Amino acid sequence: MSWTDILSALVTGFTHLTWQSAFLILLGCVLLYLAIAKGFEPLLLIPIGFGVILGNLPLAGLASSDEGGVLNIIYKAGILTEIFPCLIFIGLGAMIDFGPLLANPSVLIFGAAGQFGIFLTLLLALALGFTRPEACSIAIIGACDGPTAIYVTSKYARELLPAVSIAAYSYMSLVPIIQPPIMRAMTTKAERSVVMSYGEKKVSKRVRILFPVVAGLITILIAPMGAPLMGMLMLGNFLKESGVVSRLADVSSGALINIVTLLLGICIGCSMLAGNFLQWQTILVFILGLAAISLDTVAGVLLGKLMRVITKGKVNPLIGAAGTSAFPMSARVVQIEGQKANPRSFLLWHAIGANTGGQIGSVMAASVMLAILAGMGIAPAP
Amino acid sequence: MKDWVFGLTMTIAGMGVTFITLYILTLVIRLLDRLFPFKEEKKKEDK
Repeated sequence: MSWTDILSALVTGFTHLTWQSAFLILLGCVLLYLAIAKGFEPLLLIPIGFGVILGNLPLAGLASSDEGGVLNIIYKAGILTEIFPCLIFIGLGAMIDFGPLLANPSVLIFGAAGQFGIFLTLLLALALGFTRPEACSIAIIGACDGPTAIYVTSKYARELLPAVSIAAYSYMSLVPIIQPPIMRAMTTKAERSVVMSYGEKKVSKRVRILFPVVAGLITILIAPMGAPLMGMLMLGNFLKESGVVSRLADVSSGALINIVTLLLGICIGCSMLAGNFLQWQTILVFILGLAAISLDTVAGVLLGKLMRVITKGKVNPLIGAAGTSAFPMSARVVQIEGQKANPRSFLLWHAIGANTGGQIGSVMAASVMLAILAGMGIAPAP
Repeated sequence: MKDWVFGLTMTIAGMGVTFITLYILTLVIRLLDRLFPFKEEKKKEDK
């Protein structure tokens, strides 16, 4: 072997580097910067950003499509089988406190209004020429719920998985920027200033224990297609509320969700490749995702205004914006906007209730979507 | 089925079922609250 052969073998990585791969590696670095310097969802953006860099390194064998590679194995085992989103839901369930919702169940209805953007975006995506499974996968970004978006997209439009998952998680972290201008534009200062009665009603331990069982039974019987997500969410919450398996609840809300988030993030990152990400379609996915979350907010605030009229001024319409499942960001945004309009207003308790309702509503909306797709004979990707 | 018919079917059925399910859950929570109202736990006194 000559020195020339040795040198050429040592620089093969550089010679195989395309401008598209270099661009995506740079994008990975930008995600890392945003996570570290700006604090945007660092738990997700750091694994995703690093995954983008690893996946786009030429000849490294670390892209999700590199058969037999270590990340390909994790990708196939966790994403394509839909195990990761389900495991994350166990952790989410163990972290969520349904107390504010159980104390004031009427706010649950905002969790339904907060899903309206999903279906309006579905119509937009169809009008733009996306296929039905693709349109459903893009629209589900409006669920404001990364694992749900990944679950639906990995079933029906795997080629869109990187764009949909990045859009879903990015917009979740941008909720404090996206929602306030819409909330202010749709309400008067008098409406935003409404003080809602605040009496922290206590809920019995039995109700807290029974709720995940009963809610799981009802929602799964109505829409069985969403059982893996709803079942895991309610299981996680039951572990927490039962009070007798604190070790399992702790591991679900700690180690389990952290490990799965790390692996999920790397897998999403290493699937962002030049071939499937650098397309006009990706830009459209991002635009439609933004529309979905904006329309969720619009629908929620409109229902809030209607509830204000029905209750003769007892409901602050801002509460409706917390009906998305961006938990707890939406609830915080509502609290901040309410206090800006009226420093005596304390909306957090009600907003948290609506926000947890949004978590149930988003899974319900996705379940119904999957059920209708199945009913129409549209089969999931093999 | 045309795309807009599919979209409208999905929207009406999706939002309808989501609203109805969450409304049923609201009623269930109220029922559970009536069956098992909150009671202050009595502190056990040391003997």
